[in-house]
Amino acid sequence: MTESVNLPAGFEDLAPYAAVWGSLETQEERYLQRQHSTMKDLKAYYDATAPRLNAIFDHLDQFPMDALPDSEALLYRTALGLTETAMAIEVFNQPRVPYAPFPHKMAIEWNEYR
Amino acid sequence: MANLSEHMTKARDMGLDNGRVPVEYYTSADYFRREQDMIFRRAWLMVGRVDEVPEPGDYIVRDLPTLKASVVIARGKDGKVRAFHNACSHRGVALVCQERGNAMTFRCPYHAWVYRIDGSLSAIPAEQDFPHVDKATSGLAPIHLDSWAGFIFLNFAQEPEATLPQFLAGLDQMLEGAPFEQFPFCIRVTDEIDCNWKNLVNAFNEGYHVAILHSKTLRPAVVPKENPHLHYLDVKHFGPHSAGTVQRNFDYNPQAPALTWVYAQMLPTSAPDIAAIEEGRAGFYEHPGINRLKIPNFGTETITIFPNISIQPLANGYLFYQFWPINEGRMRTEVRIYSRHAPRTLREEYAMASTLAATRDVVVEDMAMSRLQQIGFESGGKTHQQFGQNEPLLRMFTRDYEAYLQGKGMGQP
Ligand code: FES
Ligand SMILES: [Fe+2]
Repeated sequence: MTESVNLPAGFEDLAPYAAVWGSLETQEERYLQRQHSTMKDLKAYYDATAPRLNAIFDHLDQFPMDALPDSEALLYRTALGLTETAMAIEVFNQPRVPYAPFPHKMAIEWNEYR
Repeated sequence: MANLSEHMTKARDMGLDNGRVPVEYYTSADYFRREQDMIFRRAWLMVGRVDEVPEPGDYIVRDLPTLKASVVIARGKDGKVRAFHNACSHRGVALVCQERGNAMTFRCPYHAWVYRIDGSLSAIPAEQDFPHVDKATSGLAPIHLDSWAGFIFLNFAQEPEATLPQFLAGLDQMLEGAPFEQFPFCIRVTDEIDCNWKNLVNAFNEGYHVAILHSKTLRPAVVPKENPHLHYLDVKHFGPHSAGTVQRNFDYNPQAPALTWVYAQMLPTSAPDIAAIEEGRAGFYEHPGINRLKIPNFGTETITIFPNISIQPLANGYLFYQFWPINEGRMRTEVRIYSRHAPRTLREEYAMASTLAATRDVVVEDMAMSRLQQIGFESGGKTHQQFGQNEPLLRMFTRDYEAYLQGKGMGQP
């Protein structure tokens, strides 16, 4: 799906991270991706996106949240990976929650939402 | 707070024994069977919120692994919420197959017996072949239901030994008017894990582990210098239920850019809304039953409802945890994060996803430890575990657990 969709202008350099995180649709998938990533990859992704959260959301703010164009939707999904990656980089200093089984899946349901 | 240590309730202050508790309670299949019969078939069990079925015809289906029960909870035309076993009166099929919906009738997919939303049987195809079936008494099997503060409780006994208010034993009065209904939006996280359910109940009933197990997640935000073992303060008990006050670090100032960014977008459920507290408009924080000591760095009141619920009201929402045994060595954890509203912007949605990940990771730490604990228990080298003076609620839970297994507990002394 990411083949035909490009990131919005100004965010093209995030393409390598969009290839990994931009195809994930749910928090469960992002949690698993984090667990299967190396710290090196997580750090590179974090360094590229975390300082740009404001720029990313300033751009996304121009669109209705329920009708993001494909490029913006890809950018948003790419940014969402940071919700998991920040836990690895800023909190645990490792991809997985210490002592947890691996891989660890947890079902998440946003009640009657979207 | 002149002297905080005065409010650090110790087991001896509550006259609690149970400093040594048999590991067998946590590993034996026989104890699990007794728990099913003597606790989960007798106590009132929380299964949802009335606002999950707001309109007549709204229904939800819940499965309760402990009792292998499939339950339909439905609001009738008359506005009344009822619960039934999801089992057809003909030959038993669990006929309601959607997890939620709105309907005025339920039609069994096997032979099309039809039930009304109030559970009564309305039609039998080829009815002449069932002359022995009295339609008036062959509806879906009802389950006793009552609600408190918008929480739906079920009781699986033929006749409950106590009403829900009797069961709640004053906890309901302490929390009278607490604004749970202001936080209708919920994210639910569930997981099954290999440990006894009581390991998790215990983990939520003491703060002793917070600075250690949660050293990277919770400790910086909640463990204050003056209470390094995060002793619960002002422990209140109501029959087998309890509440204890927990502090947090208001000077916590995360230096981590991505998490800090989240804090700036939206008030995450678990962050203190200092401005709101000062203006006295901060949801639960104004309630007289919560933070009775009026400690300035109030974090949460951790509320335990026997046998398997922990509720933590926060500045801008509340956390709800429930622990269901599947057998003696396996359990299901359900975490619900309640907030004021669904995200209205992408920034809020991102912030909520981030808060969800952070909250989940803390519970994952508790579950990971509970699993290691089970491995240790089952290894068989120890016959007992030890509960300290600083773990009064673990001793209290054990006291009431033993009482229930002996047929007491429900209002009886
Ligand atoms: S089992 Fe339901 S109609 Fe036969
Ligand atoms: Fe914990």
